[in-house]
Amino acid sequence: MLVGIPVEQSNSVIKPKDCAAEMSDYIVKVAEQRCKASFARVFGYFAPRLRSYALKQMGNEALAMEMVQDTMSNVWQKAHLFNAEKGSPSTWIFTIARNIRFDMLRKLQNRKEDICSDDLWPVLCEQTPDANEQSLDEQITLEQIGFMFEDLPLKQKSVIEAIYIDGKSQQEVADELHIPLGTVKSRTRLALQRLKGMLQDHD
Amino acid sequence: MIKYHPEQSQLTQFVQGNISPAEALIVSAHCDLCHRCRQFVQHKTQLIAAEVFDTPQPKDSLENYGAMLAAITQLPASETAPAAPDNKLNLSTPEPIATFTLVKTLELDGHQFTLPPTLQRIAAKTGNWSGLVGRLWQAPVELNYPGVANFIYMGRGGSVPEHTHRGVEYTLVLDGEFNDGINNYRTGDFVVMTDDNTHAPHSEHREGCLVFTLLDEPLHFTSGIARLLNPFSHLFFR
Repeated sequence: MLVGIPVEQSNSVIKPKDCAAEMSDYIVKVAEQRCKASFARVFGYFAPRLRSYALKQMGNEALAMEMVQDTMSNVWQKAHLFNAEKGSPSTWIFTIARNIRFDMLRKLQNRKEDICSDDLWPVLCEQTPDANEQSLDEQITLEQIGFMFEDLPLKQKSVIEAIYIDGKSQQEVADELHIPLGTVKSRTRLALQRLKGMLQDHD
Repeated sequence: MIKYHPEQSQLTQFVQGNISPAEALIVSAHCDLCHRCRQFVQHKTQLIAAEVFDTPQPKDSLENYGAMLAAITQLPASETAPAAPDNKLNLSTPEPIATFTLVKTLELDGHQFTLPPTLQRIAAKTGNWSGLVGRLWQAPVELNYPGVANFIYMGRGGSVPEHTHRGVEYTLVLDGEFNDGINNYRTGDFVVMTDDNTHAPHSEHREGCLVFTLLDEPLHFTSGIARLLNPFSHLFFR
């Protein structure tokens, strides 16, 4: 079990602008001497205030404490990056806290790539590891796509038109044409494959 | 001269940490390029930091923190280089939790582009460049959080077919100039497009135009045959 270091109770009347110089000195001592007592002073002042703010912002005790811990860990580990000439300890620590906040949001929102093995991807583009190999002029124009579209079999064309030009859903198309949804899907797929094939022949 | 900036309300939300990480990324990249917005953010940060910390000692019992304090002081000092000599306040994540590789420049078609520091942190996750229709090149950037980011390069005379947006599209001009039929945008300009806007970007600039874009929904092409691109709009989205 970790033995807690007593936290210095800072005087509640002291405001950051009054103690900025003092806090700056502590942070410098942390940077230069890894001084735990100095860090405890900084921690004692900022951690509880940061927790109140984080709790208001995130409404969750566990997240708020995580933010406090990550922020104050950064202060301890990166004290050498603090430069009193650039700003007050409050501004510095607040900026760290905000970045921790964005890191936490990123983690919370991290989604596994919803992998759609979409074989449409290569249709209009070519992977070009060396950009210099392909001239910018050798690309497919919209007109060419138009011509290819006109070449599609009628059944496929009407499905593609309804979905991609009129913006209907596949179900709507199925209902209108009185065909099963599966047929709409397969016609769409065939049409797109055909377009893809035509684009490749174009090369 | 940068003419288009994020709204002050968005900059303030950025300072407070109240916008999505993807928005924060592009706002921060704009601030890298824009002295005015950088100043605003610095000033706002000072004010809000003072508000947050200029408070009486909260009444929670300090015993709760003893173990945390002890755990923190067990950590080794980080071995990063000292702060950059320039006087810029580091707006972006000082050090992300995960390690990253800085990529300072992008190369395309014989051109070399220097990236703003914020984007240098994510550029290592840039995929291959793909040639699209209309002298348009695109390289996706993997974010791992919602929002789809791409570098897009329009060669001279290059254009994107007219489109509207289902969600919000942010564009930051990194190099060169483009015009979308509404305005002319230059390096550093921050462009916000929503479903109220339909535009058709093109570049006539000698060196073309490199932009960084962020989308939360696919584009929707609006004019004529370009509507056929809608099934492929994930090209511009993903």
